[in-house]
Amino acid sequence: MDDSAKRLLQRLVRRIPTQMLRDTLDKWERLTAKQRAFVDFTQSKWTITQELLAVCEERELNVKHIAELEMIYVIGNPNQGMWHTFQLVDAEDDAHSLELVQFKEQFKTHLSELKRNVAVKIKKHTDEAVWIRIAWGDTFSRPNHLKATYVVHYLQTPFVFVSGLLSKHKPLLLQVLTLSTRHQGIKDANLSGQKLTAIRDLLMRQYQHVFPTKYPSPLAERNRSVSNLHIENEQAEASANRHRMAGEAFGNGMLPALQSAVYKLETKFRDLTNETMTERDKPLRCVVKFSSPNILESLRHCASTGIASTPVTPLLSSIPLKGRNYFVITDNAPSASSQMCQTQD
Amino acid sequence: MSLLNPFNKRPGLNTATILLVENEEQFQQSLANVLVEETAVTVNVRLAKTLPLPMKNDESRPRIDLVVFIINLTLDKSVKSAKASLKYLDPGYFLGKVCFMVTNARQALGCTGRLDAVRQLAVSLHCPLLCAEDQTPEGVTSSARRLLTILKVASSLVPNTTALYLSNLTRCAMPPDIDQPSFD
Repeated sequence: MDDSAKRLLQRLVRRIPTQMLRDTLDKWERLTAKQRAFVDFTQSKWTITQELLAVCEERELNVKHIAELEMIYVIGNPNQGMWHTFQLVDAEDDAHSLELVQFKEQFKTHLSELKRNVAVKIKKHTDEAVWIRIAWGDTFSRPNHLKATYVVHYLQTPFVFVSGLLSKHKPLLLQVLTLSTRHQGIKDANLSGQKLTAIRDLLMRQYQHVFPTKYPSPLAERNRSVSNLHIENEQAEASANRHRMAGEAFGNGMLPALQSAVYKLETKFRDLTNETMTERDKPLRCVVKFSSPNILESLRHCASTGIASTPVTPLLSSIPLKGRNYFVITDNAPSASSQMCQTQD
Repeated sequence: MSLLNPFNKRPGLNTATILLVENEEQFQQSLANVLVEETAVTVNVRLAKTLPLPMKNDESRPRIDLVVFIINLTLDKSVKSAKASLKYLDPGYFLGKVCFMVTNARQALGCTGRLDAVRQLAVSLHCPLLCAEDQTPEGVTSSARRLLTILKVASSLVPNTTALYLSNLTRCAMPPDIDQPSFD
């Protein structure tokens, strides 16, 4: 086993928690049962590394196999690191009938044409996602497996999720993706987050929606239970309205665990009590960041309890509606990505 | 103006009605569930977020004997909303038919100013100020019991006592070092 394989293995053992390491090794299926039993997982990580190195040497595994192990781990635990979303635009005619085999071939061909010395691994996950692991090298150096880029693409959707991409490789990867998926362009979808499952569910709208209806509530019950007969909510209708509008804006039930929303403001300062700032002509640049373990849940709660006014302002409701969490707001007339900013008390 | 009036309707037999006003709409629900368990008296509980109450319920609403403002001291909006709602009560209520209940009074961080402000408000209106604990069932039960005591008096179900008389005994007073002018 060469140096890079050893280093990658060491890095992996350090990174993966011991319990998960055992499961990942089982899924990897490159070691025999006897060898897996040989490794004692109750020891320190250093001992485990040494034992694993010995076992892998026996099997003559190289860096490609260790890369496979890393990929299995990342696929099983995708909610780490920072994922950025891109959207493919202008599909060509045959984009909708693109198949996995075709995509794989095209991707590998285009990538090797554009850059030498790149190690690519493509794998199809059970839920229709295509996972790609890319280790970048260049004409003078071998592929660097310690800093691999991961790409997740759902075939026949225009969305691509990328993690671990350096800016010098970005134009290359985007070009290859565009070509191999038979589209004409790719743009930044302004959605990023740590949890891949959350941003994917948000973008593909995999949560329970509430559709606006003309008659939102069923007929009122005639027989109410005894204790309820004495408790009467005076403003029940207003409260129910707020709940409904919050649900229509954000959805019902469990919401994808999006963790931050960033608004970049380039609007003029507006405050009646502060003359000096209001007089300035240039827009005030400021960034507002909301973060929470589950932002959509928090915003829905704000709307349904009246903290945020209903109907929910488009500034907030466009997070789930448009599937983005980075907005640039300017003073122009309302358009797709910029809206009027209101003063807050 | 739709002021809530304490004496413009007839009372029910052996009935008491309490109105719980709370901006967050949480504590009032658990309080209501305990209050209706009272067996000696029929207790009606009306829940609201703010005043004024919607006009369309005016006909069916019974006479309200006690109005309780529930204020969460950790939230500024709670205090502001309660203050804004006070305007919609007929002055007749302030003769012993209004009560302030605050939660989270033990949280010292940033709340001492609000507790003092609410206390000042209660003093100026001659109303009692109760501190409640809303997280445990025991806390809810004890707050409900205290409210029931005041409610029974306010709905004239206790002989030889009126709401005004009780309010003289229970009204909030500011500690002397803060409010009273010195007599030097």
